[in-house]
Amino acid sequence: MEYIEVTFAQALFMGLLQGASELFPVSSLGHAVIVPTLLHWSFKQSDPSFVPFLVLLHLGTATALLVLYRDQWVVIIRGFFAAAFRGQMRDDNERLAMLLLTGTIPAAVLGVLLENRIKALFVSPSAAAAFLVVNGVLMLGFEWLRRRAERGSTRAEQEQHFAQAERISFRAAAIVGACQALAFIPGISRSGVTIGGGLVAGLRHQEAARFSFLLATPTIFGAGIVEVPQLFASGVPVAEYAVAAVLSGLAAYASARFLLRYFGSGRLDPYGFYCIAAGLVSLALLRFGL
Amino acid sequence: MKSNTVAVGLGILGIIFVIAAILYIVGGILPTFTSSSAAGTHVKHAILSAVLAVASFVAANFARPRTV
Repeated sequence: MEYIEVTFAQALFMGLLQGASELFPVSSLGHAVIVPTLLHWSFKQSDPSFVPFLVLLHLGTATALLVLYRDQWVVIIRGFFAAAFRGQMRDDNERLAMLLLTGTIPAAVLGVLLENRIKALFVSPSAAAAFLVVNGVLMLGFEWLRRRAERGSTRAEQEQHFAQAERISFRAAAIVGACQALAFIPGISRSGVTIGGGLVAGLRHQEAARFSFLLATPTIFGAGIVEVPQLFASGVPVAEYAVAAVLSGLAAYASARFLLRYFGSGRLDPYGFYCIAAGLVSLALLRFGL
Repeated sequence: MKSNTVAVGLGILGIIFVIAAILYIVGGILPTFTSSSAAGTHVKHAILSAVLAVASFVAANFARPRTV
């Protein structure tokens, strides 16, 4: 298998970029495909070991989420087994466990079935930049739909009328989960589409973010289980990449703490405008070879 | 939706997914059902089939009518 020419410094940069951008609704994958090209770095995104390298960075992010929600995950896993064996949900934790299972399955099915077609998109930074613009439009669209359903004058009043993550319907959880599969496309943000989907399904901003982060953990770990062994088989410096994954996890932890506080009153709009601007500027730079 | 028919149907679906998982792991499924061009072991498909089997059995248990 061909050696991926990522230097240690580049790996650290990619780790920081991935961790910082993964949970923000701006597509970490899109940035991971576009930024190295704009910086004229020599490694190839089409290399077979590039996806496992990114997945390793994602494992850093997933570990950060696991640490952030460690107490909640204990309760969720216990709730899953209790409800599964009983055949009934008796409290919010058991319901949340089943909602997360419902949301994870569509992403897993679509991810496995569409894997090869999706990987082909990694060779095209222009496609990633175009999808970044689409992602920005989606974010603004989600907020536009949300504003139509809001009542009250202050942000606190507006948010009060919406639900907690445990109250989302199973149909909505499946749709939000299916939306996750869109995020396999570089440029489309996983957290963006799941937070947006949660908003449309009637969740508070903060709760939509929490549901998105919880939903991300099994999906990313699942991808890691199947992709990372390829990295070990490709003969790349795994120890150096692991350091980058740790950096990615630290950045993701800080991002998650920031975002949960931000969504207490903030919206997706600034990220939507950022994605449109960043996508258009990237397309121009790529078009003129700057 | 609670009915014996739905529960049995989901149980059968679960068994089918278990068989699929085993066939994927031992490499018995033809490439028609996978995105790769060759027959052989398909770990991702096997894991997915196992997850779907678990989900089917859980759903079957939820669909089972209660006597109490």
